[in-house]
Amino acid sequence: MFKPSTASSALRAIPSSSRVSIGARSFHASSRAALATPSETKPEQTKEFKIYRWNPDTPSEKPKLQSYKVDLSQCGPMMLDALIKIKNELDPTLTFRRSCREGICGSCAMNIDGVNTLACLCRIDKDVKKPSKVYPLPHMYIVKDLVPDLTLFYKQYKSIEPFLKNDNPPAQGEFLQTQEDRKKLDGMYECILCACCSTSCPSYWWNQDQYLGPAVLMQAYRWMADSRDSYGAERKEKMQNTMSLYRCHTIFNCSRTCPKGLNPALAIAKMKLEMATE
Amino acid sequence: MSLIRPTASSSTFRAIGLGLGGRGLHTSRALAIRASTPRRDATVAADETGGFKYIPGGPILKGTVNDATPQIEASRSHGSYHWAFERVLSAALVPVTVGAAVSSGSAYPILDGILAVSLIVHSHIGFDSCRVDYLHPRKFPVIGPIVSWALKIATGLSVWGVYEFNTNDVGLTELVRRLWTA
Repeated sequence: MFKPSTASSALRAIPSSSRVSIGARSFHASSRAALATPSETKPEQTKEFKIYRWNPDTPSEKPKLQSYKVDLSQCGPMMLDALIKIKNELDPTLTFRRSCREGICGSCAMNIDGVNTLACLCRIDKDVKKPSKVYPLPHMYIVKDLVPDLTLFYKQYKSIEPFLKNDNPPAQGEFLQTQEDRKKLDGMYECILCACCSTSCPSYWWNQDQYLGPAVLMQAYRWMADSRDSYGAERKEKMQNTMSLYRCHTIFNCSRTCPKGLNPALAIAKMKLEMATE
Repeated sequence: MSLIRPTASSSTFRAIGLGLGGRGLHTSRALAIRASTPRRDATVAADETGGFKYIPGGPILKGTVNDATPQIEASRSHGSYHWAFERVLSAALVPVTVGAAVSSGSAYPILDGILAVSLIVHSHIGFDSCRVDYLHPRKFPVIGPIVSWALKIATGLSVWGVYEFNTNDVGLTELVRRLWTA
């Protein structure tokens, strides 16, 4: 809970009339007490959350699962709500990325109950007997707690030149595209680069320094498939080696785990087919 | 692209720098040296690791965070040709196996030979894929090449053995037939 006493110094600049209302507010994670008319009392549902903890300030300490108990009746429905509630009320040192809380930024990608997904799109399992386990994205270097180091992922994304390349832009106006050509991009442009698919791929676990991984490969194909881009051949030529593309063994973990319901495996299969038949 | 750590050099910064007793905001270096040209005194090339040892798959990455991962040398025989050959061979093995199953190995020695060699090449590609996945020489500089050569030798020996077996003995199809009915 946001205590008015600790926040008073920051609020001094605000006129007293509005200060009262702000001081009485609390974070949404503990809603009931802050409502103008308290909602009917729900039965308490205490669920245990086991969350991966590792602190870079004490690197010799091994990573551990820390247990937190949250009353689900006082918590939002999504995993991210529980994490925010834990950070607000139980342990402010818990570290995780989050931003939009609606599945469009891709910040809160983590491994929840064994599945890579976005915490903001993942409902809390209402079975209070079973603890929920939250880990960072698997097989990544960890910055802290649930924060993985995605530097390599972004460097790989950069390597496929994810932007329109065309030496002959139309003399006037913008690039025009048929509706059929535009449809080819559906299911690929929606990717938010949360890295859930890449970090679910065993091939990416073993060879991520050279294999690009499903997320980056789907974006690579997104630009190959774009009718406005004229560098398709060069883009494909970049994939002509053992590691970049062909470490994909059609395991399909990527398509299975994608929190946005996209199909990276299909894009990779199309890329392989086009490269084999061109 | 490279990491550029600009020394505060514009006139604005210089003015502030003078106000702070001749010191810049970010560095303790005396200013007003080549005040108008940007200094690029901390560039890191893409293949450098900032003094740390690069280990494939390790936490140290080559270049700066703004450098793309380096391009791997293109080779179609390792890329699309290899993939297409692998798929075509796998698909072709189905009719060849069925053909060998319904015919007699001793009556159709060519088909028997094709089946045997195709199976060996198919297995070689499969094992080679495992080797590249798990024992790549970039990560295993000693055991990687050993496994690579061991696989090549084993494949070569298998081809030789199958040739001997098919020419001097009953052949692969007949062997399976006898084992099946044994």
